[in-house]
Amino acid sequence: MTLGDGVKAAAVLFVAAIAQVSIFSQIHVFGAVPDVLLVTLVAFALLRGSVAGAVGGFFAGLLVDTATLGTLGLTSLVLTLAGYWIGRYGETTGRDRAHAPFLSVAVVTVLYQFGLLVVHFVLGESAPGGAVVRSLVPAILLNLILTAPLYALVRRLLRPSEPAELSAEVQLLG
Amino acid sequence: MLASSVQRSKSTPYPSKARSALIRRAVVVVLVFVALALITVAFRSPTSGPLHSVQGAGSTALRPFQVAATRIAQPFRDGYDYVASLSSAKSQLKHEKALYLEARKEAIANSAAAVNAKQLERQLHFVQGRKFPGGYNAVNTAVISPPGGPFAHSLAIAAGSANGVRRDSPVVSGDGLVGIVTNVFPNSAKVTLLTDPNSFAAALDLHTRVRGMVHTGPSGTLILDQVAKNLRVKKNDVLVTAGTRTARYPDLYPAGIPIGRVTSVGATDTAVYLQVQVQPFANLGSLTGVSVLVPKKTHR
Repeated sequence: MTLGDGVKAAAVLFVAAIAQVSIFSQIHVFGAVPDVLLVTLVAFALLRGSVAGAVGGFFAGLLVDTATLGTLGLTSLVLTLAGYWIGRYGETTGRDRAHAPFLSVAVVTVLYQFGLLVVHFVLGESAPGGAVVRSLVPAILLNLILTAPLYALVRRLLRPSEPAELSAEVQLLG
Repeated sequence: MLASSVQRSKSTPYPSKARSALIRRAVVVVLVFVALALITVAFRSPTSGPLHSVQGAGSTALRPFQVAATRIAQPFRDGYDYVASLSSAKSQLKHEKALYLEARKEAIANSAAAVNAKQLERQLHFVQGRKFPGGYNAVNTAVISPPGGPFAHSLAIAAGSANGVRRDSPVVSGDGLVGIVTNVFPNSAKVTLLTDPNSFAAALDLHTRVRGMVHTGPSGTLILDQVAKNLRVKKNDVLVTAGTRTARYPDLYPAGIPIGRVTSVGATDTAVYLQVQVQPFANLGSLTGVSVLVPKKTHR
């Protein structure tokens, strides 16, 4: 990843984080909120790998926690793990597969919500399990609607990495 | 040809998979530990300390971007609201007309009662705490981070200690009670909403004078709790904050702030109290501006 690439990636995640906390957090559909930041992070991690995904997730989470005056590090923790995990999927089995962004977004939406639920519960904060479960399906659908345009946009801004740049612990044969 | 020696091309070094995997894991472990350290520090001292100051400065730095994003989105939001309101305009008008007539009747009765009350207070040299809204200055401010998602029961506002906002200051919108300030930064503050599971507000039914506690119930909706079954609460009754009853335990909310309207009343044989559901007047999910109530002067 070049310096220019890094700056572009940082700008994309910054804009997504600001849009999320200022605009999209007001859109409530059946108790769910579309998560532009999560979808952007998934697209970024799929294109740039696990390390970039984890670092991007960490700083994006830090931005969210700072802007919302929430507990610092809380969103960072969950987004770091989400970025890393999706990055690994992109580096290995998800590479060059058309369904990868959609599958990743659907799975990570569920894991992200439950991850936040667990962290909030551990910290003794409000952890409404029922509300989270009820809002899961609309949240997945909303995020899936955002996936195609956001993935295309991020892919256009950040050209896909060469295979050599990606980690290759698992290589596809044939 | 076959006998000639052929130099075997030097093989490219095999990428060090183990090394890259180690770096990758090290990066994620370090980031997770940093996040955990941040959570620990923020959790141990949520309202003071160096991290609190850094967060306040960061929030101030991010504010122009948030304001810009909100302004960009505003025309779209207005357009949506306009279209959405068209479909329900007629029924809404009918409902509002009925409410207006009822409110006008109450306003006339209240004006007459207020004159009597003032006279009586003067004659009795009645001593009481601050009144709403007369005893408070309103710090009107924009909402910079609205609540989003099932976990968020708070919002960030663009006024802080520099504007006179203090911790535990009540927050209202034009419609009613919003919540209370729980964390203050120099130029911003965190408001915990009435819908937060840890928020409680002593409430009074304006029609029946029944008192209770408004908080979020198990199903996530706002309820009026601790109302005995022999007391009477009716659907559509208006609830306001009850205010301080005992000087020893002053209430954070002054008396008379509108909270919401009763939407349903039920009772079961097993429950000790009435089950009263409340619809808050303030639209807590889409607030763009709020007023923080700051006391005018300190009473001893």
